Amino acid sequence: MNQENRSNQKLEFRNMDQDTIILGVIGADCHSVGNKILELFFTAEGFKVLNLGVMVSQQEFINAAIETNAKAIFVSSLYGHGDIDCQGFRDLCLEKVLDRILLYVGGNLVVGKTPFEIVEEKFKKMGFDRVFPQTST
Amino acid sequence: MRIAAIGLVPDLTLQLAKLAAMSAGGKVIASYSFSLTRSDIGYLENIQPDILLFSGGTDGGNSRYVLENARKLAASSLSCPVIYAGNRAAAEEVVDLMPAKEVIVTENLMPEVGQVNLEPAREKIRDLFLKRIVSGRGLSEIVDLFGTPPQPTPLAVFELISAIPQYQTDWSDLAAIDIGGANTDFYSNTESYLETDTVILKGIREPKVKRTVEGDLGLRVSAHSLADSGWAYLEERLKGLGLEVERLRKHLDKIALDLDYLPQSEEETLFDRLLAETCVYYAALRHSGGWRETYTPQGRVYVQTGKDLRRVKAIVGSGGFLAASGSAETMRRPLQKLRTYGQERKLLPEKPLFYADRQYLFSLLGNLVGKYPKEATALAVALLENLKDED
Ligand code: B12
Repeated sequence: MNQENRSNQKLEFRNMDQDTIILGVIGADCHSVGNKILELFFTAEGFKVLNLGVMVSQQEFINAAIETNAKAIFVSSLYGHGDIDCQGFRDLCLEKVLDRILLYVGGNLVVGKTPFEIVEEKFKKMGFDRVFPQTST
Repeated sequence: MRIAAIGLVPDLTLQLAKLAAMSAGGKVIASYSFSLTRSDIGYLENIQPDILLFSGGTDGGNSRYVLENARKLAASSLSCPVIYAGNRAAAEEVVDLMPAKEVIVTENLMPEVGQVNLEPAREKIRDLFLKRIVSGRGLSEIVDLFGTPPQPTPLAVFELISAIPQYQTDWSDLAAIDIGGANTDFYSNTESYLETDTVILKGIREPKVKRTVEGDLGLRVSAHSLADSGWAYLEERLKGLGLEVERLRKHLDKIALDLDYLPQSEEETLFDRLLAETCVYYAALRHSGGWRETYTPQGRVYVQTGKDLRRVKAIVGSGGFLAASGSAETMRRPLQKLRTYGQERKLLPEKPLFYADRQYLFSLLGNLVGKYPKEATALAVALLENLKDED
C-alpha cells in the first residue's frame, strides 16, 4: 500500500492510485464556497480528498496529513489574512516530519490589489510549492 | 486493567486509543504518540501493562510509525498482549514484525480522519479483560453457574449506561459519576455534536457513550494527587468557607494512608465533601467539550472541541462517595462553577436532575444487562433516588 513515497518532491498527480490530498480554508476564514468546489473537482479527478472545511488551523492540517500520509495540502485563504495565517506553515511541517509534503495555496491571499507576482513570491518564500490566484470574481 | 496506549498524532489516534481503553473499563497508565523512544520502551518494560493498545494511521494512510514502533516493541521484553487497531494496510506487517508477541488485530480506531470506530477495539480489550479475570482469580465456577463471567465494575457500569436509553426511553441522555478512593469515573450517553450552521466541530467527533477515568482524582489513595491537580478549585472553596489550608493538609495526610477512614468530625465531613466536589469539577472538565466564540459577518460562530453534554438530563452519583452521601450539591456546585473555563464555554448539562445510586446497584445490574437488558435497566432507573437540593 501507500508506503511513504520518498522519490522526489515534484510529484505530479498523474498516477491515480488514490493519493490523499488535504483541503481546507485556513485561519478564521469562513468562505466555504470555493472549498466545496475544490472538493468536488479533485474528487472527480480521482484523488482521495480529505476536506477539513473552514476555519482550519495549521496544526489540524498537519495532524490530518500525518495520519493519512497525504501527498499534498491545499490551503485556501479568501478573507485577506492569508499571509499571516500561513506564516510558519512549512516550518511546522518540517518540525512534524512532514518533510516531503507538497504545499499549495490559493484564493484571495492578501488584502487589496497587490500584483500577483509579488504575492506569489511572498508565499513561495514561506515554503509553498505553488501559489494560485483567485479564479473567480 | 492497566493499559498502555500508543497512537500517532496526539489529538487523533492517540486520543482515540485512550478513549477506547477507558471505555473498555481500563486505566491508561502510559500513552505515547509518534515514535517510541528507548526510554519509553524501558518504562513500558518496567511497568509491564496488562494490555498494549497499538494504533496509528488511517486505513491506507501512514504506516511508517506503526512499523517502526512494532520493531521496537518486538525487541522489548514486554510480555502483555498487543491489540493492533491501526492502519489496516500495515496490519500484516506489524504481526510479522512481532512473532514472539501475542498480537490481536482488530479494526482501525480511525479508518479515516474524523471517523471514530472504537467498538471493535473495545470488544477485544473486554475479551482479554474477562479472560484474565476468570483464569487469574479462579472464577470458573461462577462462570459455569451463570453462563457469563462476572464483569468488573467500570465495564458493567458502561454496559448499563449504554443500555438504559435504549430500553428506558425517558432516560435518553444521561451521565454518571463515580468517585472512589483512587479514581473518578465519568460516564456519559448523549450525542456528542449537534451540527448547525453556527457550530463547527474541530478534532474528533467523540462517541455517544463515553467513559473517562481519572487516576489522579480520588478521595483516599489519590488524595494528595487530587489536591495537586485540583488546588485552584479547592483553594477557592476553602477561602469562601473561611477554612484553613493547614487543616486540610493534615486531613489529606491522614486519609491518604488510611484507606477506610471515615470522617470523625463535622470539619472532616466538610473536607471530604470539598474533595468530592473537586473530583467532580476536574473529571467533568476533562470529560466535556467546550465552545470558543468567533465573530463573522453572519454573526457568532462557535468552534467546538470535545463532547457536548448540554442535553444530559440526568446525572447519577453512582458508587463511592456520591452514592453514599446523596448530596446533589456536591455535583451541582462544581458543575455550575465550571460553565466557563478560561476562554471556553464548557458544554455541561443545562438543566440536569441529580440522582443517587444509593445501594450501589449499577455495577451489579450492569452484569445482567447482556442477558436481561429490559429488566436490568428498568430496575436500575426505578431504584435511583432523586436528589433534592439541601441548601
Ligand atoms: C460570498 C462572500 C462572503 C460570504 C461567505 C459565505 C460563505 N459561507 O462562504 C460572507 C458574507 C460570509 C463573507 C464574509 C467576509 N468576507 Co467575503 N466575500 C464573498 C465573495 C462575494 C464571494 C466568495 C466566493 O464564494 N467566491 C466563489 C468561489 C467559487 O471562489 P473562491 O472562493 O475564490 O475560490 C476559488 C478560487 O479562488 C480557487 N481557490 C481557492 N483556494 C484555492 C486553493 C488552491 C490550492 C487552489 C489551487 C485554488 C484555490 O478555487 C476556488 C474554486 O474555483 C467574495 C468576493 C469575490 N467575488 O470573490 C468576498 C471576499 C472574499 N470577502 C472579503 C471580505 C473582506 C470578507 C469579510 C472579512 C468581510 C468583513 N469585513 O467582515 C468577511 C470574512 C468572514 C470570515 N471570517 O471569513 C474580501 C476579501 C478581500 C481580500 N482578500 O483582500 C472579498 C474578496 C470581497 C472584496 N472584494 O472585498 N464573504
